[in-house]
Amino acid sequence: MTDISFTERDVALSSGSLHVRTAGKGRPLVHLHSAAGPRVSGVIEALADHHLVHAPTLPGFDGTAKHDSVTTIADLANLVAEFIEKECDGEADIVGEGLGGWVGLWVAVRHPGLIGQLVLEAPAGLRRTDLIALPANIDERLKLLHAVTANIPAETRAPQMLQDNRKVLQDYIQGVDFDEALVQRLGEIKSRALILMGALDKIIPRETGHILKAGLPQSHLTYIWGAAHAIEFDQPQRTSAIVLDFLDRGESFLVRQAAPAA
Amino acid sequence: MHFSFFHLMPWTELDEAPTQWPARNAPFRPERGTELYDTYLGTMAHAEACGFDWVGANEHHFSPYSLMANCNLVGAAMTQRTKSIKLAMLGNLLPLLNPVRVAEEYAMLDVMSGGRLVAGFVRGIPHEYIAYNVAPDESRGRMREALNIILRAWTEPEPFGWEGEFYQYRAISIWPKPRQTPHPRILMSASNLESAQFVGEFPSMVGLTLVSDLDVARSIIDGFLESARAHGRTPSPEDILVGQQTCIAETDEEAEEIMAKALAYFHGVLMRPQQDAQRIVIQKTRFFGQEGAGDYFMKRLQTLKGRTIKEQIEAGSILCGSPQTVVKQIKRLRQHLGAAHINMNMKLGNMPDTAVIKGMELFRDKVLPEVRAL
Repeated sequence: MTDISFTERDVALSSGSLHVRTAGKGRPLVHLHSAAGPRVSGVIEALADHHLVHAPTLPGFDGTAKHDSVTTIADLANLVAEFIEKECDGEADIVGEGLGGWVGLWVAVRHPGLIGQLVLEAPAGLRRTDLIALPANIDERLKLLHAVTANIPAETRAPQMLQDNRKVLQDYIQGVDFDEALVQRLGEIKSRALILMGALDKIIPRETGHILKAGLPQSHLTYIWGAAHAIEFDQPQRTSAIVLDFLDRGESFLVRQAAPAA
Repeated sequence: MHFSFFHLMPWTELDEAPTQWPARNAPFRPERGTELYDTYLGTMAHAEACGFDWVGANEHHFSPYSLMANCNLVGAAMTQRTKSIKLAMLGNLLPLLNPVRVAEEYAMLDVMSGGRLVAGFVRGIPHEYIAYNVAPDESRGRMREALNIILRAWTEPEPFGWEGEFYQYRAISIWPKPRQTPHPRILMSASNLESAQFVGEFPSMVGLTLVSDLDVARSIIDGFLESARAHGRTPSPEDILVGQQTCIAETDEEAEEIMAKALAYFHGVLMRPQQDAQRIVIQKTRFFGQEGAGDYFMKRLQTLKGRTIKEQIEAGSILCGSPQTVVKQIKRLRQHLGAAHINMNMKLGNMPDTAVIKGMELFRDKVLPEVRAL
C-alpha cells in the first residue's frame, strides 16, 4: 500500500459547509462514518489506495456546525447526494459504517442515479431493541464495539466532544431504532449492495442482515470472522479485502480468482 | 441413563504390526473388506433391537484400526437399516474438512433419518493432520471458525458469505437444512482441560474417551461444566458422555479373556504404526496448547496399553465382565463422573463378531434393565 495522506477542506453546500477528508485517486467513493464520528481506519486507507475517497464529517459531529435544514437521517442522505453531484461528477460508490450505512441506504432510495455500489458495514437503523438489549451505561456499551482490544483506536478527542457527538446522533435519529419507512422501500434500491456483519457483533442483531439481504434486490451478506461491531478496526485486512474485491468486480466477486502465476 | 453402541470397524486380518506410519495397504483384501463392512453394518443396525439409544461411528485415516474414512457414509447406510435409534457421528474431523461440506452432509443425514442425527465434531488425534496435510498448529482455530460457519449454515434464513482466517466463502445456502431445529444435537470430544473448556463455549455435549484415571476425567468434566456455565448454559448429566471399551460375557472370566486377546491385537498390532506420527506432531507442533497436555496424551496411551484388564477395570478405563459386574461398573461411572451417557465401543481389535453380538444381547437383557433409571 502506498502512503496515504488526506487533505482536509470545507465544501460549500446549499445547507451549509461540509468538512471533508479526501485521499487517493480513481473512481469516487464516499465513506460515511459511524455514530462514533469520523475516524481514519486501515480500511479507509486501503480504499484510498484504489479509489478517490471522500470522508465527510456529518454536520454537528466532531465540533462541526450543524445545518439548520438538516435534521433527519433522510436529510443527511440529501446532503450526501448533493455532495456527490457537486464533487464526484454525479456518481460514487458508498461505504457506510453503522450510522453511515443507514444514511447510505436512504441515499440509494432517494437518489438512485448517484450511487454505483453500496457497502453497508453493520448498518444502523434496522435494529429491533428486543433482540439485543444494550447496557444503559455508556462505558459498558462502548466495550461491546470491539472484539480485538489491540486494534481499538486511541481516542484523541475531548470527552466533551464525544458527549456532543452522542447528542448530535440522538438529534438525527429522533428515537428511531427501527426505520420502518426504510424497510418499505428497500426493494426500490437499484444499487448492488454488500452487507457486512461482524460475526461477533453484540450491538446489531443478525436479523438486520437478514432483513437487508431479503429486501435489497441485488445484495450479498457476509460475516466478518473475528469482528464485533467496529468491523473496520477489528478486522481491517479481511474487511478491506472483501470490500475492494466487491467494488472492483461487482457480482463477479462471487467467483474466486486464481492466484497470479509465480 | 443413555447408551450408545459404537463400532470402530477395524481390519482384523493382520498377522503382524506394520512397522511405520502410514501402514502399508498391501495386506488389505477388498473382498474381505466387503464382508467386514456387511457384518459391521449389520451389527450396528442390531444395536436398535438391543435397546441402545445411539449407534455411533467416527472418522480415521490411513489406518487398519478403523475402516471409516468418512463416518457419514456409515451413517447414510444406517438411515436405511434402522428406524428409531439416533445416529451419532462421533464425529467428523472438522479442522481437516470443508465445513460447508460437513454442514451439508450432516443435514442430509438428519433429513434422511427423520431427525435422528447427533452431530459430532472432533479435532481428531494428531497423526490425522499428517494424512490430510493440515498444520496441527491451526487445529483449534480451524475448529472454532468451522463450527461457527456450520451453525450459521444450519440456521441462517438468508444466503450468507464468510470472510475468515481459514475459510472464505462468498455465498452459502445449503439444501437441505437439518430437520431438527434449531439444529441437531452437537457433541465434541475433550481429552484434556483445554479441550473441555473449548467445548464449553458451544451449545454442545462433551465426550471423553480412553479414561486412564477417574479423578483426571472428573477434573476435565468439571472444566467443561465451568466453561459452559461461564458461557450462559446450564449443562446437565445428559450433556456428558463417557466412552468405554466394553466386553460383556456370561462370566467375568470369559469377558476378561475375550477382552485381553482383543486389546492385545488392538494395541500391539493395529495401533502401533501411528505412534511415531503422533510423537512427531506432538513434539514438533503446538497441537496441544497447554503445557503438559501432549505428554499426558502420549502417557495416557502408554498407560492403558501397559495395564492388565483388571487394572483397566479398576481405573475406570473399560467395562468388562458379566452383566452383574458391568452394572456395578456403570453405577460407579455414573456416581464418580456424573455422566448420564456411556458410549460403548464393543468391537475391539479382532474380537469375534459372535462375542460382540452376545455382549449386545446381554446388555439388552441383563444390564440395561438395571441401569436405565440411574
